[in-house]
This record gives sequence, structure tokens and C-alpha cells, in this order.
Amino acid sequence: MKKPIYAVATLAVAALTLAACGAAPEDEETAGGDTETTTEAADNSDFIGCMISDEGGFDDASFNQSGFEGLERAEADLGITIRSAESTDPGQYTANADAMVQAGCSLTIGVGFALEDTIQAAAEANPDLHFALVDSAFSAPDFSPVELDNAKPLLFNTQEAAFLAGYLAGGMTQTGTVATYGGQAFPSVTIFMDGFVDGVAAYNEAHGTDVQVLGWDKEAQDGSMTGDFTNTENGYNTTQQFIAAGADIILPVAGPVGAGSLSAASEHEGVSVIWVDSDGFEQESNAEYQDLILTSVIKLIGNSVFDTIDAAVAGDFDATPYVGTLENGGVDLAPYHSFEDQVPAELQTEIEDLREQIIAGDLVIESPSAN
Amino acid sequence: MSQLANPRLTPDGLLDEKAMAPVSWRTPIILGVISIVGLLAFVIFTHPGRISRIVVSRSADAIQIGTLHLPSQGSALVLLVVAFGLTGLSFWATLNRRRLGVIPIAFGIVMLFAFLIWAVAGNTGGLPLPLLLSTTITAAVPLVFGALAGVLCERSGIINIAIEGQLLAGAFLCVVVSSATGNPYIGLIAAPIAGALVGLLLAVFSIKYRVDQIIVGVVLNVLVLGLTNYLFSTVLTQNPQGLNNPPRMPSFAIPGLSEIPVIGPALFNQTVIVYVMYVVVAVLQVMLFRSRWGLRVRAVGEHPKAADTVGIKVNRTRYRNVVLGSAIAGFGGSAFVAAALPFTKEVSAGRGYIALAAMILGRWSPTGALAAALLFGFADSLNRVLGNIGSPVPYELLAMLPYLATIFAVAGLVGRIRPPAAEGKPYP
Repeated sequence: MKKPIYAVATLAVAALTLAACGAAPEDEETAGGDTETTTEAADNSDFIGCMISDEGGFDDASFNQSGFEGLERAEADLGITIRSAESTDPGQYTANADAMVQAGCSLTIGVGFALEDTIQAAAEANPDLHFALVDSAFSAPDFSPVELDNAKPLLFNTQEAAFLAGYLAGGMTQTGTVATYGGQAFPSVTIFMDGFVDGVAAYNEAHGTDVQVLGWDKEAQDGSMTGDFTNTENGYNTTQQFIAAGADIILPVAGPVGAGSLSAASEHEGVSVIWVDSDGFEQESNAEYQDLILTSVIKLIGNSVFDTIDAAVAGDFDATPYVGTLENGGVDLAPYHSFEDQVPAELQTEIEDLREQIIAGDLVIESPSAN
Repeated sequence: MSQLANPRLTPDGLLDEKAMAPVSWRTPIILGVISIVGLLAFVIFTHPGRISRIVVSRSADAIQIGTLHLPSQGSALVLLVVAFGLTGLSFWATLNRRRLGVIPIAFGIVMLFAFLIWAVAGNTGGLPLPLLLSTTITAAVPLVFGALAGVLCERSGIINIAIEGQLLAGAFLCVVVSSATGNPYIGLIAAPIAGALVGLLLAVFSIKYRVDQIIVGVVLNVLVLGLTNYLFSTVLTQNPQGLNNPPRMPSFAIPGLSEIPVIGPALFNQTVIVYVMYVVVAVLQVMLFRSRWGLRVRAVGEHPKAADTVGIKVNRTRYRNVVLGSAIAGFGGSAFVAAALPFTKEVSAGRGYIALAAMILGRWSPTGALAAALLFGFADSLNRVLGNIGSPVPYELLAMLPYLATIFAVAGLVGRIRPPAAEGKPYP
């Protein structure tokens, strides 16, 4: 009767080994999920820059990936030591933060709204270490804002760039209907949708048109959410429904789920997609659909991560929130690429003017999620 | 009277009314409460004068019906009158000890329509009924294949918790093979192979090594999840164009049938995966309950010792069934990526477990599994469609819909069920 025990043991070992590989592919060990890579580019190797992903992982072709690229750039350009902990489910956030603290990280960056509580707790418990958090400020349990001396929020006024995308969509739609949907109703998601809705409304006001936006009600702060940031099939079905309802420009704000929108758009004539976070035209995974990407609402998370590390390495870490805007280039509208010839020159000029007005502060785009 | 030897019998020898099983008023009372809540929500506390638009045909359909414009309050009132009628009928039936039969199901359908009319009241776009039905089918397909896999395994006495892992493995290999070859049908051949390999592990550990079947299943799910995540992060992200860019599975319209209004396009203008599903459900239903093979499989699942006594090879039957069932689940995994969708981490998103619930709700029969999977698919699709048209129900509540349907269905509708008797027990 010893056989079953061996079998269980073998299976368990095999499962654990393989699961370990899957959970943290860049890592040597699973529990802590940290990795060490030292380069001899510069002599800052005693500075340890660390990053924790949210459950999307560092290869999500979206904000985790952007953040990680900033960390990798800091490793290459500044010669710091980096460690990273990839989370595959929300239960790992706290353990990963502890692992980073124990690994002696000088600066730990959490990527995503979902890590707010984790980073805040770690920062409060370790006042001598530095922390940063992408996409969210810190708050007390009653939602009142909290400022910590050793934790820097990296925020983005994405609604400014999304407003320009909405204005563009208003001018480019042939059917008079555009649509947007999100992954989950996080402030960092709905801020895109708020700006987009306002942009379309501004176009309607300027041109006397009546372009409709499906999928988001800014007043009610309620709309279409696919429920997660992984299930592309939901993105595909949602987009099909919007196209059936007459929409011809879709803004998916759901990371990799946007691939479902591209697939659905490719089945219909004249439907285009506005990508988010990075320039979708340049994403290798979108190579087949480049002709469908009208533009992208980009959010340079990588730059803000790099700048934060750079300042910390130089010894002047500063916990005042970084807010990416059109003005400082933290958010932007990507080039039109394949649509360059199709966007009318007047519309391009109008968008340029609006960008100038926003930068000058003459035009303020409101959003409950703005910073 | 009191000194009667048998209190169950009245003096003239007839069965005493009071000694019979007590009348259960549960169902009529539940229906009555739901009717009253529905009346309040959908008729009394609703905005009068609103119109509910229901889009009945798509622009591409052969027979155009157009859009129905129904006065929301009036239509909901009519439906609720029907609902109260059905409630009254159920009280009458209970009082007379009649079987309720289809009354609860009819009641559910009537209330569903009342809810839909309320949910789209005043919406300018209207409820896209054909889309609702076609996404129901696409959402149900992986559940149906997963539930069929469960039926095949459990009818032979092996619990298959690893359906989730089999769906995921199937989706993964389908994407990789069809991207590499550029032919979606070769991917469809690869998907069941991946499922069968997971099934083989399940079979070896649970039959040969007699490990607890639930534990093996759970471990296999974690194993497949870890393995596919690892390969996705390392191999697929290095070469997304070559390995994670599956071609689209074309749809075929069946002439005639696909022109039936409303249901035609949803049922008969689909990819080959859906047509395979119809065939597999029909074949398994007949084979399992009408063939010698099916009788043997059920014998092995119910009473393996008896089956062994008459010369049926119990463990060989179980091996075959587990591998075949797992291959079916693997095939179902290809449905996740049929619309030229790339593989993402955990693309199965827990639907293997919903498939397990569909199998139980379907009482371990292929057609039952189909019906249950369609119910879950409908809940899922309704959640999406209502969320996208902007319904008054907050999306967080809508997102709970498929799971609420699962819990209610398994807890409420199933009633007394009996799994195969030898399920989960190694033999000999």
C-alpha cells in the first residue's frame, strides 16, 4: 500500500514545480517570487528597485508591462539591482510586498489600483523604506485621502488624452455611434471613459452633431464592464453587440481584453478601435490588426516609474504625487499611423488646438476619478 | 379510535389522509412571493409611459420582423397576471396533490420576460434578442462539452474535477497548433489530444494508484494552469504572431434552418464546433441509454462488482471513458478561441466548475447537461447584453447573475438527485 503515497508525492512535486514556473516565470523562487539581476552598467547596484505586479502579470501587454519596462530601463541605464514579484491572484499581494521588504528593497513600486492597501500597509510598517504606487493615491478606510512621507502615488490624468480621443471619434464616426467598455469599474479605468464621453460631447457641441456613446453613462458612473482583464471572449462579444447597435469606433479599456475588440472589428467593414495604455499600433501582438487601430490613448507609466527610481537613486525621493498630464507628457494621444490620411486636416488641427487649450489650463476635463 | 392497532388506517380500512406525506406548500409560496415582488418592481414602482423596444431580427436576416415597441408597464402587467394565474394553479395543484409539472418552468419564463421588459424600459437601443440568443450559444458551448466530459467520466465511476484544466489545455494547444499551421481545423484536432493527456493523468492516478479523485482533479487543474501560464509567459509572448495568432473559425449557415426568425441564426449559423456539439449530445444520449456500451458503462459506475462478475473489465472501461470524456472537454476548450482570439492566462476563467454544476443539474445525462449549460449560458449572456445596453441594474449585480443562477438551479431545481453509486470509489 505504499504505492499510492509515492504517486501522490510525485504528482504533488510535479505540480508544485510546474506551478512554480508558471506563477513567476522570471523568478528563481516562488514563495517570495523575487529575482535578482545585476548589471555592471553603472555603480548603483546597491540600490535595489523592486516591483509587484497585480494579477495581470508583467506580460499583460498593458499597464503592468509598461511599469516593468520602466524598471528594466532603470536597470539598464542606472545600473541598479532589480527584483520583481509577479502576482497571479490578489491573495499574493501582501506576501509579495513582505518578500520585497525582506529582500532589502530601497524602493518598491506596486503596479495598479488593486495594490493600494498592500503598498499603504507596507509603507506604514516600514517608514525607513520608500514605496510608490501606480494608478492610485492612498486613502484611509473611510476613503479620506492619506499622504505618506515614504510612498509616492504615480497618477495619470488620462481623461485629458481620452477627451482628445473622444473628439476624434466624434469626428471620424460614419454611423454617428461610438462605444466604450471597461474591464472593471476601477477609477483608473473609468477615467478613460469619462474623458471619452466628454470628448464626443464636445464634438457634438462644436459641430451640432448628435454622436451617441454606448457603454458608459458619466452621470451615473455606470456602464459596460466585461468583469475582468483576461477574458478576451467577453471583449469580443461586447464589441459585436456594440457593432450590431451601430457603433463603428470602439474604445476598450480592459488591457488584453481589447484583443477581442480587434478580432470583432476585423469582421466588419469600417469599424475601428482606439487602443489604451500603450501605442497599440506598435504592439507586436496587434501586428495583424494595425489597420484597425485609429489611435491610442497612451499613458507613459514606464517613464514615471523610471523618473521615480532616478530621483530615488540620486537621493531625492519625494512623496508628492506624480500626476501625468498632457502638459508633462505623462499621457498623450498616439499618432494616427494607418489613419493618417483619413483623419481630415481640420479635425487634426482642432484636436491640436484642444490639446493646447488643455495644456494651457483654459480647458479642464472633469472626471470624478481625476487627480 | 385511539386504541386502534394501526393508526394509519381508518376503521373502515382506508388509508388515513393525515398519515399521508404532508402537503408541501413551498413551491406555491415561493411563486406567490416572487409574483408580488415582481408586481411591485416591474409594474407599480416603474415609470409609466415608457416603451420597451425588443429587436427581433438582425439586418442580415432573410425574414425581417423589425423591432417590437411594447408599452413597458402594460406588458409587464399582462405578464404578471399570467404569473399570478400560474401561482394560483400551483396552489390548486398542491391542494389536490397533483404534480406541478411544468408550472414552475412556465412561471420562470413569464417572470423572465417581465424582467426583460422592465430592464429595457425606455432604452433607445432596445434589447437585441437575436444577439442575446447567439451569445447564449457561444457561452454555453464550452459548458456543454465540459458537462459531457463529466457525464462520461462519472457514469463510469470516476469524478472529473479536472474539467477546468482540460478546457484550458484544449484552448492552449488549439491556439498554438492552429497559429503554427494557419489552419483552424488542425487546431480542432489538437485540442482533444491536450484534453485526453490531462484525462490520462487523471485516470492513471485515480485508477492505478487509487488516489482520491477529487484531490487529483484539483491538483491537475493547478498543474495545467501553471503550465499554460508558464508557456504563455515564455514561449507565446516571445512569438505572438507565430504561436498566438489563431485563424478565425468560419461560420456556416445551414440553408433553410438558419432563416427561421429569432432562433435560426443563433442555432444554425455557427462554427463547426457548435454543430459537433449537437451531434455529440445526440450520439452520447443514445449510446449511453440505448446501447450495450452504455449499459456496461452505467453498470461499472453503479455496481462495479456486479459488472465484473459478468465479465466487464471495470478498470479498462473507466480508463477509456475518462480519456474519451477528457478529449471531449479538450475539444470544448477550442470554443474559447474560435473567434480568432489569442490565448490569455486562465482563459477558461472557472467555467470548468460551472460545467460540473451543469452536469449535476442535468442529472448526469447528455441532454440534461445541454439544457443546464444553455441556462447558465443564457444567464452569462444576459449579464453581458444588459450591461452593454445600459440597464437600470448595476453591473456588479448583473455580474453575479450566472453564479446566482448556478446556486439557485443546483440548490432549488435539482431536488433529490442521485449520482452514480460507485462514483469516486476505486475498484477493486
